[in-house]
Amino acid sequence: MLASRNVFRQRRRTSVSLIAIIGGVAAMLLASGFFEWNYDTMREGAIRARIGHVQITRDGFAEGGTADPLRYLMAETSEDRKLIEAFPQVDTLAPRLSFTGLISIGDSTTSFAGEGVDPEREKKASGALTILSGQDLSGIDANEITVGQGLADNLKLQVGQTVVLLANTGSGGINAIEVKVVGIFATITKAYDDFALRIPLKTSQRLLRVTGVHTWLVLLERTGQTDNFLAKLRPLLQTPGLSIVPWYETAAADFYNKTVSLFSKQVLVVKLMIAFIIVLSISNTMMTNVRERFGEIGTLMALGDTRAKVLRRFLAEGAVLGFAGGVLGSILGVGAARLISWVGIPMPPPPGMANSFVAGIMVTPGLVFEAIFLSVTTAVLAGLYPAWKASRLNIVDALRHAR
Amino acid sequence: MSIVVLEHVSKEYRLGDHMVRALDDVTLSFESGVFLAIAGPSGSGKSTLLNVIGCIDMPSSGRVVIAGHDISGQTPDQLASLRARTIGFVFQTFNLFPVLTAEENVEYPLLQMEELDKQDRRERVKEMLELVQLGKFAKHRPSQLSGGQRQRVAIARALVTRPELVLADEPTANLDHKTGEGILALMRDINRRYKTTFIFSTHDKKVIDAADRLVGIEDGTVRILGVRKEGQWAITNVARRAASTTDTEAAALKR
Ligand SMILES: Nc1ncnc2c1ncn2[C@@H]1O[C@H](COP(=O)(O)OP(=O)(O)O)[C@@H](O)[C@H]1O
Ligand SMILES: [Mg+2]
Repeated sequence: MLASRNVFRQRRRTSVSLIAIIGGVAAMLLASGFFEWNYDTMREGAIRARIGHVQITRDGFAEGGTADPLRYLMAETSEDRKLIEAFPQVDTLAPRLSFTGLISIGDSTTSFAGEGVDPEREKKASGALTILSGQDLSGIDANEITVGQGLADNLKLQVGQTVVLLANTGSGGINAIEVKVVGIFATITKAYDDFALRIPLKTSQRLLRVTGVHTWLVLLERTGQTDNFLAKLRPLLQTPGLSIVPWYETAAADFYNKTVSLFSKQVLVVKLMIAFIIVLSISNTMMTNVRERFGEIGTLMALGDTRAKVLRRFLAEGAVLGFAGGVLGSILGVGAARLISWVGIPMPPPPGMANSFVAGIMVTPGLVFEAIFLSVTTAVLAGLYPAWKASRLNIVDALRHAR
Repeated sequence: MSIVVLEHVSKEYRLGDHMVRALDDVTLSFESGVFLAIAGPSGSGKSTLLNVIGCIDMPSSGRVVIAGHDISGQTPDQLASLRARTIGFVFQTFNLFPVLTAEENVEYPLLQMEELDKQDRRERVKEMLELVQLGKFAKHRPSQLSGGQRQRVAIARALVTRPELVLADEPTANLDHKTGEGILALMRDINRRYKTTFIFSTHDKKVIDAADRLVGIEDGTVRILGVRKEGQWAITNVARRAASTTDTEAAALKR
């Protein structure tokens, strides 16, 4: 209480310090909020387009599945599946069959990575998949496919054309079917769109002459529920030899994880710079503040305050300043973030991704908390030396300054 | 028992490349309950003497015993605690905390006495403000008070911990004559009523007349010791640099 009154006694000087902190905190929130928006978009995009929150496969599928997909088939439906679908936080469970093969039209043939999906269930699981032309798959048994943008460009495919798909069957032979291209899609990952095609699950099972699937893709209401869901699910599953993989441990999330750790380091540099600016701009003010109050400090100590108490008093004043600046800066930062997000930040296509996009700024409660924490610690840090100086004053000398 | 005992106390300051002797072999002792004036011209060492007695300054040599505590070898924290509990300070420049109201200023020294709860503190503060006749000004900030009122708040703040000893360095120097007399009368009244020891410094002859004990110093040495009985001063001149005489006279002062 005394600390805050003292802080706001010097209106002009305090407001100069406050403005420095507010500016720093707002800038920090905008920078980290911008990265947060990108992380979030990337993560949710990847999860909803193809990773899902949790993938359930046979053990070893992640390592050996590409070379020999047919060895890792699991049941399409079972007691376990019913159990999972009964969880309230489970939005949908989408079965998928992954395979590779060749696609030809006329003289052109190229390889593809196919995904047999249940279109009905994929509506939710593929929210981040954009149909560029045509339409999505119509039913679980339809003789049709949708094709990734890069793959379509490669073969100069048009919606409405018929193509031939060729793949190895479960029994060791080769099978081919004719399907109609009904749509062309794009995800946020260009590398995926260059080879991907999607096909109704039953149609893919017919092509491969199998009955099972590779993956149950579980999509939850919110990404934050993943770990809690995993912990609850693990002990309940009955089928032996299943592996339960959260999104962040999948190979597809690797890119996301690496990007986050790279950019987090860059944001850390930004934060350190801002902290440094705050320290520089207010430590001088703090020193003036102490120097001007020598008489008061002498009086405090004459009345019996210990050095430690004087030190704490001035540190508390720094903390009050930092907290006030942190809160006001957060309000400014959140407001500015809303405004900027509303206007939108036009962005070029990032490396490895297909299209340009309009970015926003996402300020999470965690970021606000972190910004306030940073401004309080920074302000306390900036006040450390002046406060220490104050606590070491010679009482008689200090009292001589009283007026 | 003597509340203040000084034995061969000297205080030197380094000023550039030579030393200034602010106190030169001072030996004194004061009984509890005295109303004592330290008089002398400007620069004679009055403030230095009060600072040493108040444990905010350490002597260069000699022994200082305040309320039974020998202050040599005490840590800054021990001295702080001694000041908090035993000594009240009144300053020439009042030194109130500008952001606190009158009652908060008076309450401040009580905050470090853990044995007092909020209720005790409030009662004591009220009692003190009434004592200095400022009950109505409890919520005023120092800037809203006159000089005399500020010094009264300062006196209330010095007394609130019920110290054995109150030190006042030229408490009336920043006040006009009439206000100063009022402040002296208040301190005198408190001294009589509560037997609180008051030691104040002054260079004003009229202020000296309010005291019942007198220590006259010049160039850092004690020159005059005075005791007032039935309105008459009994003055003893102390020969310069005669420690043994000073001891004798100090003994005389106790009587
Ligand atoms: N911190 C200091 N540094 C140097 N000299 C000092 C200091 N404090 C006091 N003195 C000197 O000590 C002498 C006594 O000072 P002081 O006790 O303040 O006298 P008074 O209060 O009687 O005016 C003076 O000559 C003064 O200049
Ligand atoms: Mg003086």
